[in-house]
Formats: sequence, structure tokens, C-alpha cells
Amino acid sequence: MKNKRILLLFLLLVLAIVPSCRKEVPVNENRVVVAISSDIESTNPAFAFTQNEGNIAGLLYASLVQHKWNFAEGKMDTYPMLAKSWQWSKDSSSVNLKLRDDVKWSDGKPFTSADVVFTFDVYSDPLVQSRFYGTFKNFYADSSQHVNLQKTFTVNSPYDLTINFKKGSIPSFFDIDFPIIPQHIYAGKDRKNLVTIEKEIKPVTDGAFKLASWEKNQAIILKQNKDSFLYNPQGISEIIFKIVPDYNSQLTQLKNGEIDFMQDVKAGDVAALEKNGGLDVSFLKGTQYDFIGWNNIDPELYAKSKKVVPNKLFGDPKVRTALSYAVNRKEILQEFLNNYGQLAAGPIAPIFKSIIDTSLEPIPYDPDKAKQLLASAGWKDEDNSGVLKKNGIKFSFTLNYPSGNPLREFAANVIQNNLKAVGISAKLEPVEPEVFFQKMFARELNAWISGWSVQIPVDMKVLWHSNLDKGPFNVVSFQNKSVDMILDKIEKERSENQKAALYKELQDIIYKEQPVTFLYWIDNIIAFNNRIQNVTITPLGPLDRCWEWSIKK
Amino acid sequence: MKNETIKILLRRIFASLLVLFLLITFLFFLLRISPGEPYQKFVSPELSPKLASLVKNSFDLNGPLIDQYKSFVINLCRGNFGISYTYRIPVTEVIARYLPFTIIFSLLSFIIQIASAFLLSLLSVKKINGKLDKTISKAGLVVYALPSFVIGVSLVYIFSGLLNLFPSSGLSSFDSDSFSLVQKLADYSNHMVLPLITLSLGGIAVFYKYLRDNLIDVYNKPFVENLRMHGFSEKEITRKHVIPNAVSPLIAVAGVELGLLFGGALITEVIFALPGMGRLTVNAILSRDYPLVTGCTFVAGLLVIITNLIADLIKAKLDKRLLRGILN
Repeated sequence: MKNKRILLLFLLLVLAIVPSCRKEVPVNENRVVVAISSDIESTNPAFAFTQNEGNIAGLLYASLVQHKWNFAEGKMDTYPMLAKSWQWSKDSSSVNLKLRDDVKWSDGKPFTSADVVFTFDVYSDPLVQSRFYGTFKNFYADSSQHVNLQKTFTVNSPYDLTINFKKGSIPSFFDIDFPIIPQHIYAGKDRKNLVTIEKEIKPVTDGAFKLASWEKNQAIILKQNKDSFLYNPQGISEIIFKIVPDYNSQLTQLKNGEIDFMQDVKAGDVAALEKNGGLDVSFLKGTQYDFIGWNNIDPELYAKSKKVVPNKLFGDPKVRTALSYAVNRKEILQEFLNNYGQLAAGPIAPIFKSIIDTSLEPIPYDPDKAKQLLASAGWKDEDNSGVLKKNGIKFSFTLNYPSGNPLREFAANVIQNNLKAVGISAKLEPVEPEVFFQKMFARELNAWISGWSVQIPVDMKVLWHSNLDKGPFNVVSFQNKSVDMILDKIEKERSENQKAALYKELQDIIYKEQPVTFLYWIDNIIAFNNRIQNVTITPLGPLDRCWEWSIKK
Repeated sequence: MKNETIKILLRRIFASLLVLFLLITFLFFLLRISPGEPYQKFVSPELSPKLASLVKNSFDLNGPLIDQYKSFVINLCRGNFGISYTYRIPVTEVIARYLPFTIIFSLLSFIIQIASAFLLSLLSVKKINGKLDKTISKAGLVVYALPSFVIGVSLVYIFSGLLNLFPSSGLSSFDSDSFSLVQKLADYSNHMVLPLITLSLGGIAVFYKYLRDNLIDVYNKPFVENLRMHGFSEKEITRKHVIPNAVSPLIAVAGVELGLLFGGALITEVIFALPGMGRLTVNAILSRDYPLVTGCTFVAGLLVIITNLIADLIKAKLDKRLLRGILN
């Protein structure tokens, strides 16, 4: 009797679940579900530290200007957004902006120039610790880089504003391309705790979309903002960022139709996705590259006394060039990336058509040439141990790479074997990513595999300037006076043609010096449901201008 | 006797809290000496050294370690774990968002594990080494040997990918806000089927093995034979004598298992994108969110201690002779 009762209870439970056994079917056909692997912490652009946070903030908040990628010329063009027109002064020391007078925040309050001034004040305030802190180098500011509002802004009317830049600076539209936040919401709040404010209130925004709901670790739902000047009646009415941490789950859901848009698809999955009639696969090329960093200076001495002394192994350009000849990058590109990328010759991305020096060919795999160069640099296998020596020092070092990165792990093994073939002993050591990047930026590593995402607009100074304060991303501590001069000239140059010529000169020196071994440009593979139309994948990001997307009827 | 029990119980609680305090202290120093800095995310390499130190100083991690520890202990005594570096809200608030789901999810899985293991082991011992017993035992071994991520991914592939029966991730549908209460419950249960199976299968195999072996062990004891000789029915012997004796050793294991479940089920949470303590803790460790790591560890440790204590009390209730030994 008792057993029968348990069985009945079990059957009731099954009956309760079974009717709902179906995958989620979208109620709203005009919605797009984008998979993201981790939740965001904030929708406020001031705290958009990650790419996803930046994407979402960019959809919620409008900026003064917007940029579109010009595929023909390989550069960005500036278009109006909150500023409907502008006028630069003759010497480019100031810009007068005429603001749109039809923009309303989602709570109905009008957008005015006061919001613009307030935004620059907040973003540059050291108390806020915003994502943009430290980027206002062309502005009048105090010693903590907090923008001086009196000197910088001349408010002519609620919709007419002049921004005055620091004397001697060369400002551009990128100096004012920030999402604007509403003054009436954040004014008077404790700047130190600004990030917590939005947790108490619903964000007040003015972008193409507005926040409908945000369920932590589940999904962020944005709905089209019909009051926005960016409103597109044919556009998608809802964009959902669904948090799916597991790659395989993302792939299954894409095939099932539970999600519509997925980034960072693995090269090995492309063939299967391309066969799926309901999906389109797109490639975002030339926005990220991997390299082998050879520390050009002695890391121990630099850590002890900040002294810049050439590295005993990698200080000689001839040796670095030999190392580049020794590495079979093509093998990694073919075997691991299925050729979804291209070999790199230098730091300028192929997408920047006007400044890249196309005459430079990637250094080919040539172990004999590598041995020759090493011998001419004095590295010889004196004791037939299989490892080269010079002045009693063995050519032996540790090659680090961030753990949990299968591509870099694969590359490290190929590189280790390649180097062994020319008489160099490399010990592989994966390091936990946080620790790896901390050590890399502290210039504590000797040799490592890492990568950079392309900065738009191009800024080579931070990557290659010998003054390590001016070149914070010059993690290999490359030292070259000619490069410094070129970089300083580029910064001051206004003519685009002259700039292009200088960039080519720069690439030529870097090619000869090989401060790092440039490996390959890696494609970001994007797959999406082909019911989404008007998708243009640009270097500005796969979700760039997604308010222009529509759904096939 | 009653007073003595209370005394022993209080002593046990005090000892548990001491263990918890030592755990947190150990963790505090371990986090401080481990490489990586919590402010790394906020310090762009482009910041000048002066501006970078301005940001670093705001984290209050520059003072002597012992002073940091003193203020940590004072705050801990007040129930204040500090502010999460990532979420920028009190740690207790962050944990309060994740803990309820973990508790419900773990309890459900635990009930499924125990109930299934109990039923299967009873079926098995009906005919020891019979066809059914052999099949269940071998299947249990296979399930136990399979890593949970393989089970999870396979379930998603079959039930979500091929059969389209269950959603492959998440806690609820996007439109669940507009659902009625019954629809909402059905929606939640629909989303929970695959994660619960993934989390429970391994546990079922473990409990089944324990229970089956214990049941066989007790069945072979001379007192069972004695009872049979005295004419007790097989049903009565099983229910009144065999099961209570076989279950007792399992309770301690179940207590530990439940405590561990409360700490979070990372793999299941990642595969099915569930908002549990496992993901929260791992993300906190990866982002060097010291206050949050401490808070999560404290809660996980506390839950392990509580579940163990409850398990021991149940054991003592079943066999009063064990009281002093267990609680001490």
C-alpha cells in the first residue's frame, strides 16, 4: 500500500514536469539572443572594464560622436550622434559642438550640455576609478588628471558647447568619444560609491536600447528604445545577452536555436557550423595577434635597480631575428587554427590599409638561416651537448605562457621543438593568467607567449617607446632611439600621408630589429542564425551598430 | 543526562567554531601571500606610476599585514566580511543572492541521491548477485567513473540537442516574468531536470554502493538468522532490524556529502549556467576578490560543520551509546 502511494507521488511529479518538457521557444520572434560567457558587473559605461560591459553600455548610452569602419580605406570615419554638428578651431585647440535638442533620458528629462560636462568630470575623477581614468591627456587637468572643468568647457547654451584642449596637444574625435551619463541621476552622490548606485535604481539611459531586466548570472535583456533618435522601426526589438559559461553548451544552443549569436568559435567547429543551413559564419580578421616576447633587457637587473641593460640571451637583434627564423609559425596556424588567421610580419594590423607596409613579408621558417645567424652572433655548440653556448653561458631559458589557453600551449610545444632543432633549450612553464600578466607588465619574464588586441585608433607609442613610462605596453623593453623619434613625430603630425610614411619607416625598423617574434593574426570566428539580417562584422566589434540589424520575415 | 548532553553539544559547537576561525585565518594569510593583486583590473598599464598608486592605495592593502588581520577579525566578529571588490557591495549581500539557489539545488539533489540509492540497493539485495543486482552494480560503477562534465555535456547533447526535450542552460525562460505561478514552477522544474541528474548520478552511485554493502553485511549477521529462526517475517526483519543497522554508517557520509554540495557544484553550475556558490567562489578566487573568497569559504565551512553536526546527532539519536563518542 505504502509503495503504491510512493509510486503515485512519483508519477504526479513526472506529470508536472513532462508537459513543460520543451526547449525555450521565443515568444518574441523579433528578438536576438547573444551568448556571453560571463556576467557583467555594471551597465554603467564608467565601469565597463570588460568587452561585454563596453558593448552593453554602448547600446544603453549614446556618445557625442560615433565611429563607423571605412572598409575601403581601412580607417574610422566620424559621424554625428549626440552632437549633430561640430566646428574645430583653426589650430584644433578647441571644438564647438552643437548638440541635439530632441534627446530625452529614459525618465523623460532632457539631455543637455550639463550632462556632457558632468560626464567628463566623473570619468576623470580619481575617486570614481572609472574605466576611462587616466585617458584625458589632451585636457586641462590637475596633477591627479582630474579634468579642469572651468578651463575645458565653455557652455554657450544647453545645446551649444565648446571644449578647449590643453595647449600644445593634438586632440581628435577619439578624445570626446565617450558615452554620456545623466547628471541629474549621479550629481551629489558619493563619487567613491558611484558604482553601487545603479544597483539601487534602474539605469537612466538614452541609447538605442534600454535595460528591461538583468537577472544575475542568467541574462541581461535590452529592449529597443522607441524614444531614441537611433530608433530603427525595422530593427530588432529585443537583444538578450544570455550567460552561458561553457563553450560546448553555447555551441549546442546555437545549433538548437536557443541562442542566435556566438563569438570566439573554435576553428575546429567551423566546418560543421557552415554545413548547418540555418547559420552564417563570419570572420573578424586582423584584430588580435600572438607573439613571442623576448625580454630585450635583463629582467633581474631591471627589477632590482630599474637599470636598462641588454639581455644576455635576447639583447642582440641578430639573435632575435634568428629566433624568428627558427619558429615554424605556419605549422601552428595550419594545425591549430585551421588557417583561420594569417602570418604576422609586424605590429600594424592588415585592417589599417593606409599605414601597413605590405612590402614586408612574414619571416619564413628557415632553421638553417637561424643557425647561421646564431653562429655569426657567437653562439656555438662548443661541447657537442646539443645546446649553444657563448662566453660560457648556455642558450637555455624558461618560456612562459598563460595556463588554460590551448592555442598558446600548443604553440609553446611547437616552439620548444623548433628551438631545440637549432640548439636552444626552452623549458615550458604555464603561469596562472592573473599572475602571468602581472609579471609581464612588471617586465619580470624572460621569454613568453602572449598577444595583443588591436587598439583603434592605432597607438604604437605605448607599445614601442624606449621610455618605459611612455611605453607601458613595451613589455619587452625594446630600446631604439630612431623608433622613439618616429613615434614622437607621429604624435605631432597632422597630415595623414606624412603619418603613413612615418608608420612605414617604423615598421621597417621593427622588422629588422625583431623585438618580438610576431606569430599570427587570429580570426575571431562568429556564427549567427541567418534569420538576422544586416549584420556587418567590423573591427569595431561584432555587435557594432546592432540596432541596424533586422529579422528576416 | 540531559544537562550532560547540552554540555557536550555546546563543547562540540565551540570546537567547530574554533576550527572555522582557524580556517578563515589560514585563508586570510594564504590569500595575502599568493601572487596576483585584486586591484589589477582597475590599474590600466597606461596610468602613470603616481596615478596607479593612487588607485592601489584605495584598496587599503598597503598597511602591515597584522593590522589588516586585526581589522579583519574585528569586522568578522561584527558579521562584516567587507565589501566585494568586484561587486562593490557587502559580501553578505552577494552571498545572499547565490546561497538560496545552492541550498535548494543541493537539497533536491541530496534527496534524489538518497532516495534513489535506497530504492536501488533494496532492489539489489532482494537477490544478491542476481541479474538485477549485477546490472545495477555495474551501471553504478560506470556512472561513478564518469566525470560529471561528461555526464552533463552528454545529457545536453541527447535531451536538448537531439530530442529537444529540455532547455540546455539557465534557471528559467526569458519570458518567465509573464508566467502564472504554476507555469513558473513547471518552467523551473523543466530547467532543473538535466542539472539535477548531472549532479545526482555520481552521488547515487556512491550511496548505492555503501547501502548495498551495508545491507548485505547486516543480512549476514547471526542475529538476522536468529530472528528468522524465531519466525519473524522477512519484511519485518528488513524494516525493523536490517535497514536501521545498515543506514547508521551511511549517515556520516551523507553529512559530509551534503556539506560539500552546499559549497557549490562548480562543474554542473558552469555547464548549465546556474547561479550557485561554486561559480561565485571560483570567480572570486580568479579575480582576487579577497573579501568575497573569505565570505564564501566561511559559509561553505559553516555548512559542512552544521551538516556534520546534524548527521552526528541523528546517529546519536539512533544509538544513544554513541552520543559521547560522536559529539566529542
